[in-house]
Amino acid sequence: MSGRWVELVFGPFRASWRAGLGWSIGLALLVVSTVAFWPAFRGSSGISQAIDQLPAPVVQAFGLQGFGTPAGYLRGGLYELVVPLLFAAAGIMFANTAIASEEDAGRLELYLAQPVSRTAFLAGRSVAVFGWVLVLTVVVLISQLASDAMFGLQIETGRVIATIVLCAVLGAFHAGLCIAVAGAAARPGRLLSVGFSVAYAGYLVRALFSLSDVLAPWRHLSPWDWALGSDPLVNGAEAWRFGLLAATGVLLAVAGVVAFARRDIRSA
Amino acid sequence: MGVGVPTHMSLEGPAIRIEGLVKDYGAVHAVRGIDLEVRRGEVFGFLGPNGAGKTTTIRCLLDLLRPTAGRITVLGLDPRRDGIALRGRLAYMPGELRLPERLTAAGLAAAIGRLRGGLDTRRRDELAARLDLDLDRRMRDLSSGNRRKVALLLAFLADAELLVLDEPTNGLDPLMQREFLHLVREARERGTTVFLSSHVLSEVQRAADRVAVLRNGKVLVLGGVEELRRRARQRVEVWFEGPPPAQELAVLPSLTDPHVEDHRFAAILAGPIQPLLEVLARHPVVSLLVEEPDLEEAFLDLFEAAS
Repeated sequence: MSGRWVELVFGPFRASWRAGLGWSIGLALLVVSTVAFWPAFRGSSGISQAIDQLPAPVVQAFGLQGFGTPAGYLRGGLYELVVPLLFAAAGIMFANTAIASEEDAGRLELYLAQPVSRTAFLAGRSVAVFGWVLVLTVVVLISQLASDAMFGLQIETGRVIATIVLCAVLGAFHAGLCIAVAGAAARPGRLLSVGFSVAYAGYLVRALFSLSDVLAPWRHLSPWDWALGSDPLVNGAEAWRFGLLAATGVLLAVAGVVAFARRDIRSA
Repeated sequence: MGVGVPTHMSLEGPAIRIEGLVKDYGAVHAVRGIDLEVRRGEVFGFLGPNGAGKTTTIRCLLDLLRPTAGRITVLGLDPRRDGIALRGRLAYMPGELRLPERLTAAGLAAAIGRLRGGLDTRRRDELAARLDLDLDRRMRDLSSGNRRKVALLLAFLADAELLVLDEPTNGLDPLMQREFLHLVREARERGTTVFLSSHVLSEVQRAADRVAVLRNGKVLVLGGVEELRRRARQRVEVWFEGPPPAQELAVLPSLTDPHVEDHRFAAILAGPIQPLLEVLARHPVVSLLVEEPDLEEAFLDLFEAAS
Protein backbone atom coordinates (compact mmCIF):
# COMPACT_ATOMS: atom_id res chain seq x y z
CA MET A 1 0.00 0.00 0.00
CA SER A 2 1.34 3.44 -0.83
CA GLY A 3 1.73 6.09 1.85
CA ARG A 4 -1.33 7.82 0.47
CA TRP A 5 -3.60 4.81 1.07
CA VAL A 6 -2.06 4.21 4.47
CA GLU A 7 -3.03 7.75 5.43
CA LEU A 8 -6.50 7.58 3.82
CA VAL A 9 -7.43 4.43 5.78
CA PHE A 10 -5.34 4.46 8.94
CA GLY A 11 -5.53 8.20 9.54
CA PRO A 12 -9.30 8.11 10.25
CA PHE A 13 -9.02 4.64 11.83
CA ARG A 14 -6.48 5.91 14.34
CA ALA A 15 -8.47 9.09 14.94
CA SER A 16 -11.35 6.93 16.27
CA TRP A 17 -9.27 4.84 18.66
CA ARG A 18 -10.74 6.30 21.83
CA ALA A 19 -14.29 5.56 20.69
CA GLY A 20 -13.15 2.13 19.48
CA LEU A 21 -11.55 1.32 22.81
CA GLY A 22 -14.68 2.44 24.67
CA TRP A 23 -16.96 0.28 22.50
CA SER A 24 -14.61 -2.69 22.87
CA ILE A 25 -14.51 -2.48 26.66
CA GLY A 26 -18.27 -1.94 26.89
CA LEU A 27 -19.15 -4.89 24.65
CA ALA A 28 -16.66 -7.21 26.35
CA LEU A 29 -18.02 -6.31 29.79
CA LEU A 30 -21.59 -6.81 28.62
CA VAL A 31 -20.88 -10.26 27.19
CA VAL A 32 -18.75 -11.48 30.09
CA SER A 33 -21.10 -10.20 32.79
CA THR A 34 -24.14 -11.72 31.06
CA VAL A 35 -22.51 -15.13 30.71
CA ALA A 36 -21.29 -14.90 34.31
CA PHE A 37 -24.90 -15.23 35.46
CA TRP A 38 -25.49 -18.38 33.43
CA PRO A 39 -24.61 -20.78 36.29
CA ALA A 40 -27.41 -19.19 38.35
CA PHE A 41 -29.96 -19.74 35.54
CA ARG A 42 -28.84 -23.18 34.42
CA GLY A 43 -31.60 -25.65 34.99
CA SER A 44 -33.54 -23.21 37.18
CA SER A 45 -37.15 -24.02 36.46
CA GLY A 46 -38.40 -20.93 38.35
CA ILE A 47 -37.26 -18.50 35.67
CA SER A 48 -38.66 -20.65 32.87
CA GLN A 49 -41.99 -20.86 34.66
CA ALA A 50 -42.02 -17.10 35.21
CA ILE A 51 -41.38 -16.56 31.50
CA ASP A 52 -44.17 -19.00 30.66
CA GLN A 53 -46.53 -16.70 32.55
CA LEU A 54 -45.76 -13.81 30.18
CA PRO A 55 -47.95 -13.24 27.11
CA ALA A 56 -46.58 -15.13 24.12
CA PRO A 57 -45.96 -11.97 22.02
CA VAL A 58 -43.74 -10.53 24.74
CA VAL A 59 -41.76 -13.74 25.03
CA GLN A 60 -41.26 -13.76 21.27
CA ALA A 61 -40.44 -10.06 20.95
CA PHE A 62 -37.61 -10.34 23.44
CA GLY A 63 -36.52 -13.80 22.36
CA LEU A 64 -37.16 -15.28 25.78
CA GLN A 65 -38.36 -18.73 24.69
CA GLY A 66 -36.21 -21.49 26.13
CA PHE A 67 -34.46 -19.19 28.58
CA GLY A 68 -33.28 -22.12 30.65
CA THR A 69 -31.23 -23.58 27.77
CA PRO A 70 -27.78 -22.22 26.76
CA ALA A 71 -29.03 -21.06 23.33
CA GLY A 72 -32.20 -19.56 24.80
CA TYR A 73 -30.24 -17.76 27.53
CA LEU A 74 -27.78 -16.17 25.09
CA ARG A 75 -30.56 -15.24 22.68
CA GLY A 76 -32.72 -13.58 25.33
CA GLY A 77 -29.83 -11.97 27.19
CA LEU A 78 -27.65 -10.81 24.31
CA TYR A 79 -28.31 -11.74 20.71
CA GLU A 80 -31.99 -11.05 20.13
CA LEU A 81 -31.81 -7.33 20.86
CA VAL A 82 -28.85 -5.92 22.79
CA VAL A 83 -25.81 -7.03 20.80
CA PRO A 84 -27.30 -6.51 17.31
CA LEU A 85 -28.58 -3.10 18.41
CA LEU A 86 -25.16 -2.17 19.78
CA PHE A 87 -23.47 -3.27 16.56
CA ALA A 88 -25.93 -1.16 14.56
CA ALA A 89 -25.32 1.80 16.88
CA ALA A 90 -21.54 1.38 16.58
CA GLY A 91 -21.75 1.33 12.78
CA ILE A 92 -23.89 4.50 12.86
CA MET A 93 -21.59 6.30 15.33
CA PHE A 94 -18.33 5.44 13.57
CA ALA A 95 -19.74 6.56 10.21
CA ASN A 96 -20.91 9.79 11.82
CA THR A 97 -17.67 10.71 13.57
CA ALA A 98 -15.42 9.72 10.67
CA ILE A 99 -17.39 11.46 7.94
CA ALA A 100 -20.51 13.58 8.53
CA SER A 101 -19.56 15.37 11.73
CA GLU A 102 -16.00 15.90 10.47
CA GLU A 103 -17.30 17.56 7.33
CA ASP A 104 -19.90 19.52 9.26
CA ALA A 105 -17.09 20.92 11.43
CA GLY A 106 -15.18 21.94 8.30
CA ARG A 107 -12.34 19.52 8.93
CA LEU A 108 -12.37 17.70 5.58
CA GLU A 109 -11.37 20.75 3.57
CA LEU A 110 -7.67 20.55 4.42
CA TYR A 111 -7.47 16.91 3.31
CA LEU A 112 -9.56 17.33 0.16
CA ALA A 113 -7.28 20.20 -0.94
CA GLN A 114 -4.50 17.61 -1.30
CA PRO A 115 -3.85 15.47 -4.39
CA VAL A 116 -6.41 12.78 -3.54
CA SER A 117 -9.70 12.05 -5.27
CA ARG A 118 -12.98 12.44 -3.45
CA THR A 119 -13.69 8.79 -4.22
CA ALA A 120 -10.44 7.53 -2.70
CA PHE A 121 -10.88 9.78 0.30
CA LEU A 122 -14.37 8.56 1.21
CA ALA A 123 -13.52 4.97 0.30
CA GLY A 124 -10.61 5.17 2.77
CA ARG A 125 -12.85 6.52 5.51
CA SER A 126 -15.46 3.83 4.77
CA VAL A 127 -12.83 1.11 5.10
CA ALA A 128 -11.84 2.63 8.46
CA VAL A 129 -15.49 2.54 9.62
CA PHE A 130 -15.93 -1.10 8.55
CA GLY A 131 -12.55 -1.82 10.14
CA TRP A 132 -13.84 -0.75 13.54
CA VAL A 133 -16.94 -2.94 13.13
CA LEU A 134 -14.54 -5.80 12.43
CA VAL A 135 -12.49 -5.03 15.55
CA LEU A 136 -15.67 -5.10 17.66
CA THR A 137 -16.64 -8.42 16.07
CA VAL A 138 -13.34 -9.95 17.15
CA VAL A 139 -13.75 -8.48 20.64
CA VAL A 140 -17.26 -9.95 21.04
CA LEU A 141 -16.16 -13.33 19.63
CA ILE A 142 -13.23 -13.60 22.01
CA SER A 143 -15.27 -12.42 25.02
CA GLN A 144 -18.11 -14.83 24.24
CA LEU A 145 -15.98 -17.92 23.63
CA ALA A 146 -13.71 -17.21 26.59
CA SER A 147 -16.58 -16.63 29.02
CA ASP A 148 -18.47 -19.69 27.71
CA ALA A 149 -15.45 -21.75 28.73
CA MET A 150 -15.00 -19.87 32.00
CA PHE A 151 -18.61 -20.19 33.20
CA GLY A 152 -19.35 -23.58 31.74
CA LEU A 153 -21.94 -22.46 29.17
CA GLN A 154 -22.08 -25.35 26.70
CA ILE A 155 -23.17 -24.45 23.19
CA GLU A 156 -21.96 -25.34 19.73
CA THR A 157 -19.13 -22.93 18.86
CA GLY A 158 -20.00 -22.73 15.15
CA ARG A 159 -23.50 -21.39 15.92
CA VAL A 160 -22.17 -18.83 18.36
CA ILE A 161 -19.66 -17.60 15.80
CA ALA A 162 -22.36 -17.47 13.09
CA THR A 163 -24.67 -15.47 15.37
CA ILE A 164 -21.99 -12.94 16.31
CA VAL A 165 -20.91 -12.49 12.69
CA LEU A 166 -24.57 -11.98 11.70
CA CYS A 167 -24.88 -9.24 14.34
CA ALA A 168 -21.67 -7.73 12.98
CA VAL A 169 -22.88 -7.67 9.36
CA LEU A 170 -26.10 -6.08 10.62
CA GLY A 171 -23.81 -3.40 12.11
CA ALA A 172 -21.96 -3.14 8.79
CA PHE A 173 -25.30 -2.73 7.00
CA HIS A 174 -26.15 0.25 9.21
CA ALA A 175 -22.62 1.65 8.76
CA GLY A 176 -23.06 1.41 4.98
CA LEU A 177 -26.46 3.09 5.21
CA CYS A 178 -24.94 5.98 7.19
CA ILE A 179 -22.00 6.29 4.79
CA ALA A 180 -24.62 6.71 2.06
CA VAL A 181 -26.35 9.46 4.07
CA ALA A 182 -23.00 11.14 4.85
CA GLY A 183 -22.02 10.94 1.20
CA ALA A 184 -25.20 12.71 0.18
CA ALA A 185 -24.90 15.65 2.63
CA ALA A 186 -22.87 16.83 5.61
CA ARG A 187 -25.71 16.54 8.09
CA PRO A 188 -24.87 14.61 11.25
CA GLY A 189 -28.39 15.07 12.62
CA ARG A 190 -29.94 13.55 9.53
CA LEU A 191 -27.43 10.69 9.61
CA LEU A 192 -28.23 9.84 13.22
CA SER A 193 -31.98 10.01 12.76
CA VAL A 194 -31.95 7.91 9.58
CA GLY A 195 -29.55 5.38 11.08
CA PHE A 196 -31.39 4.88 14.36
CA SER A 197 -34.85 5.02 12.77
CA VAL A 198 -33.92 2.24 10.37
CA ALA A 199 -32.38 0.21 13.21
CA TYR A 200 -35.43 0.64 15.42
CA ALA A 201 -37.96 0.07 12.65
CA GLY A 202 -36.05 -3.03 11.57
CA TYR A 203 -36.25 -4.45 15.07
CA LEU A 204 -39.96 -3.67 15.42
CA VAL A 205 -40.84 -5.19 12.06
CA ARG A 206 -39.01 -8.38 12.94
CA ALA A 207 -40.37 -8.61 16.49
CA LEU A 208 -43.99 -7.56 15.96
CA PHE A 209 -44.96 -8.46 12.41
CA SER A 210 -44.66 -12.17 13.12
CA LEU A 211 -47.50 -11.79 15.64
CA SER A 212 -50.02 -10.90 12.94
CA ASP A 213 -50.95 -13.28 10.17
CA VAL A 214 -51.48 -10.38 7.77
CA LEU A 215 -48.14 -8.72 8.49
CA ALA A 216 -46.02 -11.83 9.06
CA PRO A 217 -44.80 -12.21 5.44
CA TRP A 218 -43.58 -8.62 5.48
CA ARG A 219 -41.19 -9.22 8.35
CA HIS A 220 -38.67 -10.41 5.76
CA LEU A 221 -38.23 -6.77 4.79
CA SER A 222 -36.32 -6.19 8.01
CA PRO A 223 -32.52 -6.45 7.97
CA TRP A 224 -32.91 -7.84 11.48
CA ASP A 225 -34.89 -10.71 10.03
CA TRP A 226 -32.19 -11.30 7.39
CA ALA A 227 -29.65 -11.51 10.23
CA LEU A 228 -31.54 -13.42 12.90
CA GLY A 229 -34.54 -14.95 11.09
CA SER A 230 -33.16 -18.50 11.23
CA ASP A 231 -32.69 -18.36 15.02
CA PRO A 232 -28.96 -18.92 14.43
CA LEU A 233 -28.01 -19.90 17.99
CA VAL A 234 -30.30 -22.92 17.64
CA ASN A 235 -30.24 -23.64 13.91
CA GLY A 236 -27.19 -21.95 12.47
CA ALA A 237 -27.72 -19.73 9.42
CA GLU A 238 -27.74 -19.97 5.63
CA ALA A 239 -24.92 -18.30 3.71
CA TRP A 240 -27.25 -15.86 1.94
CA ARG A 241 -27.99 -14.09 5.22
CA PHE A 242 -24.35 -13.05 5.60
CA GLY A 243 -24.04 -12.24 1.90
CA LEU A 244 -27.20 -10.17 1.62
CA LEU A 245 -26.39 -7.97 4.63
CA ALA A 246 -22.73 -7.50 3.70
CA ALA A 247 -23.51 -6.82 0.04
CA THR A 248 -26.26 -4.29 0.87
CA GLY A 249 -23.94 -2.53 3.33
CA VAL A 250 -21.13 -2.30 0.79
CA LEU A 251 -23.48 -1.18 -2.00
CA LEU A 252 -24.91 1.57 0.21
CA ALA A 253 -21.35 2.70 1.05
CA VAL A 254 -20.48 2.75 -2.67
CA ALA A 255 -23.57 4.88 -3.33
CA GLY A 256 -22.33 7.26 -0.63
CA VAL A 257 -18.89 7.47 -2.22
CA VAL A 258 -20.42 8.18 -5.64
CA ALA A 259 -22.69 10.90 -4.21
CA PHE A 260 -19.78 12.44 -2.27
CA ALA A 261 -17.73 12.84 -5.45
CA ARG A 262 -20.53 14.85 -7.08
CA ARG A 263 -21.36 17.53 -4.59
CA ASP A 264 -20.02 20.61 -2.79
CA ILE A 265 -17.92 20.15 0.34
CA ARG A 266 -19.01 21.99 3.45
CA SER A 267 -16.59 24.56 4.82
CA ALA A 268 -16.39 25.76 8.41
CA MET B 1 13.42 21.29 -3.33
CA GLY B 2 14.35 24.59 -1.75
CA VAL B 3 15.52 27.49 -3.87
CA GLY B 4 15.39 27.13 -7.64
CA VAL B 5 12.64 26.95 -10.21
CA PRO B 6 10.63 23.76 -9.71
CA THR B 7 11.41 21.40 -12.54
CA HIS B 8 7.77 20.42 -13.06
CA MET B 9 6.76 23.94 -13.90
CA SER B 10 5.24 24.60 -17.30
CA LEU B 11 5.11 28.23 -18.19
CA GLU B 12 2.42 28.43 -20.84
CA GLY B 13 -0.79 30.30 -20.23
CA PRO B 14 -1.94 32.13 -17.11
CA ALA B 15 -1.73 30.53 -13.68
CA ILE B 16 -5.47 31.02 -13.13
CA ARG B 17 -8.15 31.90 -15.63
CA ILE B 18 -11.70 32.41 -14.42
CA GLU B 19 -14.44 33.09 -16.96
CA GLY B 20 -17.99 33.98 -16.02
CA LEU B 21 -17.88 32.17 -12.68
CA VAL B 22 -21.27 31.97 -10.96
CA LYS B 23 -21.99 30.12 -7.73
CA ASP B 24 -25.41 30.01 -6.11
CA TYR B 25 -26.34 28.32 -2.86
CA GLY B 26 -30.04 27.86 -3.35
CA ALA B 27 -31.41 31.38 -3.51
CA VAL B 28 -28.16 32.97 -2.33
CA HIS B 29 -25.93 34.29 -5.11
CA ALA B 30 -22.43 34.08 -3.64
CA VAL B 31 -20.57 34.73 -6.89
CA ARG B 32 -22.35 36.56 -9.72
CA GLY B 33 -20.06 36.38 -12.72
CA ILE B 34 -16.33 36.77 -12.09
CA ASP B 35 -13.77 37.06 -14.86
CA LEU B 36 -10.09 37.35 -14.08
CA GLU B 37 -6.66 36.13 -14.99
CA VAL B 38 -3.68 35.62 -12.73
CA ARG B 39 -0.31 35.62 -14.49
CA ARG B 40 2.37 33.07 -13.79
CA GLY B 41 4.81 34.17 -11.13
CA GLU B 42 2.87 37.16 -9.83
CA VAL B 43 1.48 37.83 -6.39
CA PHE B 44 -2.20 38.50 -6.96
CA GLY B 45 -4.31 40.17 -4.30
CA PHE B 46 -7.95 39.16 -4.06
CA LEU B 47 -9.46 41.89 -1.99
CA GLY B 48 -12.99 42.29 -0.71
CA PRO B 49 -15.10 42.77 2.39
CA ASN B 50 -16.40 39.69 4.22
CA GLY B 51 -19.09 37.96 2.19
CA ALA B 52 -17.88 39.35 -1.13
CA GLY B 53 -17.37 35.87 -2.57
CA LYS B 54 -13.60 35.47 -2.12
CA THR B 55 -13.69 32.16 -0.30
CA THR B 56 -16.38 30.76 -2.58
CA THR B 57 -14.25 31.58 -5.63
CA ILE B 58 -11.16 30.01 -4.03
CA ARG B 59 -13.05 26.86 -3.10
CA CYS B 60 -14.15 26.54 -6.73
CA LEU B 61 -10.47 26.66 -7.78
CA LEU B 62 -9.83 23.63 -5.55
CA ASP B 63 -12.90 21.71 -6.70
CA LEU B 64 -14.30 21.81 -3.16
CA LEU B 65 -17.28 23.59 -4.72
CA ARG B 66 -18.83 22.98 -8.11
CA PRO B 67 -19.60 26.22 -10.00
CA THR B 68 -23.17 26.94 -11.04
CA ALA B 69 -21.80 28.37 -14.29
CA GLY B 70 -18.52 29.48 -15.80
CA ARG B 71 -15.14 28.05 -16.62
CA ILE B 72 -12.01 27.74 -14.49
CA THR B 73 -8.53 26.77 -15.61
CA VAL B 74 -5.73 26.54 -13.07
CA LEU B 75 -2.15 25.86 -14.23
CA GLY B 76 -3.71 24.83 -17.52
CA LEU B 77 -5.89 22.20 -15.84
CA ASP B 78 -9.60 21.79 -15.16
CA PRO B 79 -10.09 21.60 -11.36
CA ARG B 80 -12.90 19.09 -11.77
CA ARG B 81 -11.43 16.75 -14.37
CA ASP B 82 -7.75 16.98 -13.44
CA GLY B 83 -8.26 17.68 -9.74
CA ILE B 84 -5.66 15.25 -8.41
CA ALA B 85 -2.89 16.45 -10.72
CA LEU B 86 -3.80 20.06 -10.08
CA ARG B 87 -3.93 19.80 -6.29
CA GLY B 88 -0.52 18.13 -6.41
CA ARG B 89 0.86 21.32 -7.93
CA LEU B 90 -0.82 23.86 -5.68
CA ALA B 91 -0.99 24.42 -1.95
CA TYR B 92 -4.02 25.86 -0.21
CA MET B 93 -4.42 27.52 3.11
CA PRO B 94 -8.07 27.78 4.25
CA GLY B 95 -9.33 30.96 5.82
CA GLU B 96 -11.44 29.27 8.46
CA LEU B 97 -9.00 26.94 10.16
CA ARG B 98 -10.43 23.68 11.42
CA LEU B 99 -7.51 21.40 12.16
CA PRO B 100 -7.64 17.91 13.68
CA GLU B 101 -7.67 18.64 17.41
CA ARG B 102 -5.64 15.70 18.63
CA LEU B 103 -2.78 15.83 16.14
CA THR B 104 0.44 17.74 16.74
CA ALA B 105 1.78 20.08 14.08
CA ALA B 106 4.45 17.48 13.28
CA GLY B 107 1.80 14.76 13.05
CA LEU B 108 -0.35 16.85 10.74
CA ALA B 109 2.62 17.73 8.54
CA ALA B 110 3.44 14.01 8.32
CA ALA B 111 -0.17 13.13 7.42
CA ILE B 112 -0.33 15.80 4.71
CA GLY B 113 3.13 14.68 3.56
CA ARG B 114 1.84 11.13 3.07
CA LEU B 115 -1.08 12.45 1.01
CA ARG B 116 1.27 14.62 -1.08
CA GLY B 117 3.85 11.89 -1.51
CA GLY B 118 6.71 13.41 0.44
CA LEU B 119 7.79 15.51 3.40
CA ASP B 120 10.90 17.68 3.48
CA THR B 121 11.74 17.54 7.18
CA ARG B 122 14.58 20.03 6.86
CA ARG B 123 12.29 22.59 5.27
CA ARG B 124 9.64 21.81 7.92
CA ASP B 125 12.07 22.53 10.75
CA GLU B 126 13.35 25.65 9.04
CA LEU B 127 9.80 27.00 8.60
CA ALA B 128 8.85 26.10 12.17
CA ALA B 129 11.87 28.03 13.45
CA ARG B 130 11.05 31.05 11.30
CA LEU B 131 7.41 31.02 12.37
CA ASP B 132 8.39 30.37 15.99
CA LEU B 133 6.12 27.32 16.11
CA ASP B 134 6.42 24.35 18.47
CA LEU B 135 5.84 21.27 16.29
CA ASP B 136 5.10 18.96 19.21
CA ARG B 137 2.01 20.64 20.59
CA ARG B 138 -1.47 19.40 19.82
CA MET B 139 -3.80 21.58 17.76
CA ARG B 140 -6.32 21.89 20.56
CA ASP B 141 -3.66 23.48 22.80
CA LEU B 142 -2.72 26.10 20.21
CA SER B 143 -3.98 29.68 20.10
CA SER B 144 -5.65 30.87 16.90
CA GLY B 145 -2.43 32.67 15.93
CA ASN B 146 -0.43 29.48 16.36
CA ARG B 147 -2.97 27.46 14.37
CA ARG B 148 -2.55 30.02 11.62
CA LYS B 149 1.19 29.36 11.76
CA VAL B 150 0.56 25.62 11.38
CA ALA B 151 -1.51 26.28 8.26
CA LEU B 152 1.15 28.62 6.87
CA LEU B 153 3.80 25.99 7.52
CA LEU B 154 1.76 23.37 5.64
CA ALA B 155 1.20 25.72 2.70
CA PHE B 156 4.83 26.79 2.35
CA LEU B 157 6.12 23.27 2.98
CA ALA B 158 4.48 21.91 -0.17
CA ASP B 159 6.93 23.02 -2.86
CA ALA B 160 3.98 24.17 -5.01
CA GLU B 161 3.75 26.13 -8.26
CA LEU B 162 0.74 28.01 -6.98
CA LEU B 163 -0.07 29.10 -3.45
CA VAL B 164 -3.70 29.86 -2.71
CA LEU B 165 -3.90 31.65 0.62
CA ASP B 166 -7.27 32.68 2.06
CA GLU B 167 -6.93 35.47 4.63
CA PRO B 168 -3.48 34.19 5.61
CA THR B 169 -2.56 36.71 8.29
CA ASN B 170 -5.81 36.70 10.27
CA GLY B 171 -4.78 36.52 13.93
CA LEU B 172 -1.03 36.80 13.33
CA ASP B 173 0.93 39.34 15.34
CA PRO B 174 2.78 42.09 13.40
CA LEU B 175 6.14 40.32 13.69
CA MET B 176 4.72 37.18 12.09
CA GLN B 177 2.91 39.23 9.46
CA ARG B 178 6.35 40.52 8.44
CA GLU B 179 7.74 36.99 8.36
CA PHE B 180 4.79 36.02 6.20
CA LEU B 181 5.64 38.79 3.72
CA HIS B 182 9.21 37.47 3.58
CA LEU B 183 7.90 34.00 2.81
CA VAL B 184 5.67 35.34 0.05
CA ARG B 185 8.57 37.28 -1.51
CA GLU B 186 10.84 34.24 -1.38
CA ALA B 187 8.14 32.14 -3.01
CA ARG B 188 7.79 34.71 -5.79
CA GLU B 189 11.55 34.76 -6.31
CA ARG B 190 11.40 31.01 -6.83
CA GLY B 191 8.77 31.57 -9.53
CA THR B 192 5.74 30.56 -7.47
CA THR B 193 2.44 32.26 -8.23
CA VAL B 194 0.65 33.49 -5.11
CA PHE B 195 -3.10 34.07 -4.95
CA LEU B 196 -3.75 35.96 -1.77
CA SER B 197 -7.19 36.85 -0.49
CA SER B 198 -7.71 39.49 2.15
CA HIS B 199 -10.13 42.03 3.48
CA VAL B 200 -7.27 44.30 4.56
CA LEU B 201 -6.00 46.72 1.94
CA SER B 202 -2.59 47.34 3.51
CA GLU B 203 -1.73 43.64 3.60
CA VAL B 204 -2.42 43.28 -0.10
CA GLN B 205 -0.61 46.54 -0.85
CA ARG B 206 2.54 45.27 0.78
CA ALA B 207 2.52 41.87 -0.88
CA ALA B 208 0.76 42.00 -4.24
CA ASP B 209 1.64 43.08 -7.76
CA ARG B 210 -1.91 43.24 -9.01
CA VAL B 211 -5.24 43.31 -7.25
CA ALA B 212 -8.87 42.53 -7.91
CA VAL B 213 -11.42 44.16 -5.65
CA LEU B 214 -14.54 42.12 -5.10
CA ARG B 215 -17.94 43.07 -3.82
CA ASN B 216 -21.23 41.20 -3.79
CA GLY B 217 -19.81 38.43 -5.90
CA LYS B 218 -18.44 40.63 -8.67
CA VAL B 219 -15.05 42.12 -9.54
CA LEU B 220 -15.27 45.90 -9.17
CA VAL B 221 -11.72 46.82 -10.13
CA LEU B 222 -8.80 44.90 -11.50
CA GLY B 223 -5.46 46.58 -11.73
CA GLY B 224 -2.01 47.37 -10.41
CA VAL B 225 -1.59 47.88 -6.73
CA GLU B 226 -0.32 51.47 -7.24
CA GLU B 227 -3.45 52.46 -9.10
CA LEU B 228 -5.57 50.98 -6.35
CA ARG B 229 -3.66 52.82 -3.67
CA ARG B 230 -4.41 56.11 -5.43
CA ARG B 231 -8.10 55.35 -5.41
CA ALA B 232 -8.27 54.35 -1.78
CA ARG B 233 -9.45 56.81 0.85
CA GLN B 234 -7.59 57.29 4.09
CA ARG B 235 -8.58 58.72 7.42
CA VAL B 236 -6.43 61.65 8.58
CA GLU B 237 -6.21 63.04 12.09
CA VAL B 238 -3.99 65.98 13.05
CA TRP B 239 -3.37 67.47 16.49
CA PHE B 240 -2.19 71.09 16.45
CA GLU B 241 -0.57 73.12 19.21
CA GLY B 242 -3.20 75.78 18.71
CA PRO B 243 -6.59 75.79 16.99
CA PRO B 244 -6.55 73.94 13.65
CA PRO B 245 -6.29 76.11 10.50
CA ALA B 246 -9.77 75.03 9.49
CA GLN B 247 -10.21 77.48 6.64
CA GLU B 248 -6.95 76.59 4.94
CA LEU B 249 -7.79 72.92 5.24
CA ALA B 250 -11.35 73.37 4.04
CA VAL B 251 -10.26 74.48 0.59
CA LEU B 252 -8.18 71.38 -0.06
CA PRO B 253 -10.08 69.38 -2.71
CA SER B 254 -8.76 66.01 -1.54
CA LEU B 255 -10.27 66.35 1.95
CA THR B 256 -13.88 65.54 2.72
CA ASP B 257 -15.99 65.18 5.81
CA PRO B 258 -13.86 67.51 8.01
CA HIS B 259 -14.31 67.66 11.79
CA VAL B 260 -12.74 70.19 14.14
CA GLU B 261 -12.67 69.67 17.87
CA ASP B 262 -10.38 71.75 20.13
CA HIS B 263 -6.90 71.17 18.74
CA ARG B 264 -7.84 68.17 16.68
CA PHE B 265 -8.71 68.05 13.01
CA ALA B 266 -10.05 64.91 11.30
CA ALA B 267 -11.08 64.25 7.70
CA ILE B 268 -11.14 61.69 4.93
CA LEU B 269 -8.35 61.98 2.38
CA ALA B 270 -9.06 60.87 -1.18
CA GLY B 271 -6.24 61.70 -3.55
CA PRO B 272 -2.65 62.89 -3.14
CA ILE B 273 -1.47 63.79 0.36
CA GLN B 274 1.03 66.43 -0.79
CA PRO B 275 -1.30 69.51 -0.62
CA LEU B 276 -2.27 68.55 2.93
CA LEU B 277 1.36 68.18 3.98
CA GLU B 278 2.10 71.62 2.57
CA VAL B 279 -0.60 73.21 4.72
CA LEU B 280 0.50 71.28 7.79
CA ALA B 281 4.12 72.34 7.29
CA ARG B 282 3.12 75.96 7.90
CA HIS B 283 1.54 75.22 11.29
CA PRO B 284 2.82 73.77 14.57
CA VAL B 285 1.65 70.13 14.39
CA VAL B 286 1.87 67.96 17.51
CA SER B 287 0.90 64.65 15.95
CA LEU B 288 -0.32 63.20 12.67
CA LEU B 289 -2.19 59.98 12.06
CA VAL B 290 -3.02 58.58 8.62
CA GLU B 291 -4.85 55.30 8.77
CA GLU B 292 -6.63 52.88 6.56
CA PRO B 293 -10.36 52.65 7.09
CA ASP B 294 -12.10 49.35 6.42
CA LEU B 295 -12.53 48.34 2.83
CA GLU B 296 -16.09 49.57 2.42
CA GLU B 297 -15.02 53.04 3.49
CA ALA B 298 -11.72 53.05 1.61
CA PHE B 299 -13.52 52.38 -1.64
CA LEU B 300 -16.75 54.15 -0.77
CA ASP B 301 -17.11 55.89 -4.13
CA LEU B 302 -16.26 52.70 -5.95
CA PHE B 303 -18.71 50.63 -3.98
CA GLU B 304 -21.44 53.27 -4.20
CA ALA B 305 -21.05 53.52 -7.94
CA ALA B 306 -21.43 49.76 -8.18
CA SER B 307 -24.59 49.50 -6.10
